Amino acid sequence: MQKIIISVFGPDRPGILASVSRILFEEDCNIEDVTQTILQTEFAGIFIAQIPADKSVEWIEDRLNDALNPTELKATVKVLKGAAEPALKGKQTEPFVITTRGPDRKGLVAAITGVIAGYGVNVTHLKAVFRGGDNPYDNMMIYEVDIPVDIDRQRFHQELRQKAESLGLMISLQHRTIFETINRV
Amino acid sequence: MLSPSEVISTLEMVQNEHLDVRAVTLGLSLVGCVSDRLETFRRNVTERILQTAERLVTVCDQIGDKYGIPVVNKRIAVSPVAVIAACFDAAQMVEIAHTLDAAAKEVGVDFIGGFSGLVEKGVARGDRSLIEAIPVALSTTDRLCASVNVASTRAGINMDAVVMMGKAIVEAARQSADRDGIACAKLCVFSNIPEDIPFMAGAYLGIGEADAVINVGVSGPGVVKKAIDRAMASTDRPNLGYLSEIIKRTAYKVTRVGELIGREVANGLGIRFGVVDLSLAPTPNVGDSVGEIFQSLGLSSIGAPGSTAALAMLNDAVKKGGAFASSHVGGLSGAFIPVSEDLNIGEAAANGNLSLEKLEALTSVCSVGLDMVALPGDTSAETISAIIADEMAIGVINRKTTAVRLIPVPGKQAGERAYFGGLLGEAPIMSIRGTTGENAFVRLGGLIPAPIHSLRN
Repeated sequence: MQKIIISVFGPDRPGILASVSRILFEEDCNIEDVTQTILQTEFAGIFIAQIPADKSVEWIEDRLNDALNPTELKATVKVLKGAAEPALKGKQTEPFVITTRGPDRKGLVAAITGVIAGYGVNVTHLKAVFRGGDNPYDNMMIYEVDIPVDIDRQRFHQELRQKAESLGLMISLQHRTIFETINRV
Repeated sequence: MLSPSEVISTLEMVQNEHLDVRAVTLGLSLVGCVSDRLETFRRNVTERILQTAERLVTVCDQIGDKYGIPVVNKRIAVSPVAVIAACFDAAQMVEIAHTLDAAAKEVGVDFIGGFSGLVEKGVARGDRSLIEAIPVALSTTDRLCASVNVASTRAGINMDAVVMMGKAIVEAARQSADRDGIACAKLCVFSNIPEDIPFMAGAYLGIGEADAVINVGVSGPGVVKKAIDRAMASTDRPNLGYLSEIIKRTAYKVTRVGELIGREVANGLGIRFGVVDLSLAPTPNVGDSVGEIFQSLGLSSIGAPGSTAALAMLNDAVKKGGAFASSHVGGLSGAFIPVSEDLNIGEAAANGNLSLEKLEALTSVCSVGLDMVALPGDTSAETISAIIADEMAIGVINRKTTAVRLIPVPGKQAGERAYFGGLLGEAPIMSIRGTTGENAFVRLGGLIPAPIHSLRN
């Protein structure tokens, strides 16, 4: 069996997941992973599924878009090739959380991720909101990252701080465990 | 994935509400260092401390940095010196004090505790030497802390020891007169001292403990205050049951942080983890005050009518939350109400809202007792002993720990201020009522018998 990855984007409304999953079921596809989110008013969903040998990627994509077409939603399907390898294969890592707060301006994500990428640190989740105004929580980025244990974390932190300072942002780098320890029983 | 609210609430606690790990304390048994030759004993003690605590400060800083939560103080608590150095006289005890102080400086810890004796039922030779040495030992060292347990529910109150401690406090103040009697700020007199305490100034390693153990003391009055403020603002009709629940949940979070960091430090040093002491301990900073919690609960000030009930609720909720968060809770655990270390409590004492008598009442429901209370410099040793006896009685009858840390400030009178600096802060000198004439009661000495409920077995 082949694996496919389906991305669905468009204006949010009730029933999107129901439509996509119903068609995949009707086409005898087995859903393995789903993630979805809503950014402002836009739906974004990603599905990984197995398709039977007698179905083509194009067929699945057409079936999905036929169903979604009236709603301005768009589905894209492609083949998932081979067994996926972890982004930091073989490297020992520790999970940290980088948080920034401060005034909005263009290029914030690019600037912070530039530092992150420069150290070979992998972003596993990002939640960012930029609403403007004075409330620092209306303009924040939360990066969950895997930091290889062999990098100089002090230097990494220092460079992040310098970058954040130049952008007028408050930044923190803390081990992920502390958030779970405080908030979860 | 973490939710934004989880991230935000954690950041608020750490960055804006003064959440920190107040102290990581290495409990270190010195029993194996015992020798009847002073030089050998001192050498053994020095080697033991240097070897075991060499990496304590570094590891604490690394773990604090990793979690973004500072470990404010790194400390050492050793076996009670009166027990392990029982064969030495007072002058030799002073030399041992200097040895401990020097070793503490060498490894970079803030305080070293354990210059301690347990005399609730009787004063042994080593205890007597230690108590006689306390004034010089504390006034000629910087980081040494001492504690003496003079009473317990099981044994009663050793009034002979109480009298000795009254004299020791006055003498310690006199010998550190140039620094407002700061030696007394490093001396606690206890009833029902726990078997092991990681919190200064009373800290020592219990005899029943392992060779080395890492204990952690968490703080967080600022976090509790902000949680109460948010709860008050979020509902029209907050009641005390609801607020107690808020305090409990907050204490849970704070304790979890302490245990996490304590265990990491213990792992980093290859030493067993001991207990979390979940006391609410203030600092002299705005926003990190136990006294401010009283105002958040609707009282005009700590000391106003209602304060004892509020403190009882606060203490109980802190213990309940902490008990759920950790299976290894110990030490003192509750709310500290030191006058000098808490800006708000100091102000209440200065403007007359908080009297010595009300402080004593509060100690019947809080963790410690009359903590960091500055008194007029001409307060007699008998009066000091009588105040100690009163506080010990509260502990003995109520089967709880109580303590006093009294500082008769040489040359100063009630209404003036004493300055200790750093975490010890400053305090108004409080007046004492009813001190005219001699105190023949204290001079009677002897042992006030254990109360009837001590017979439980």
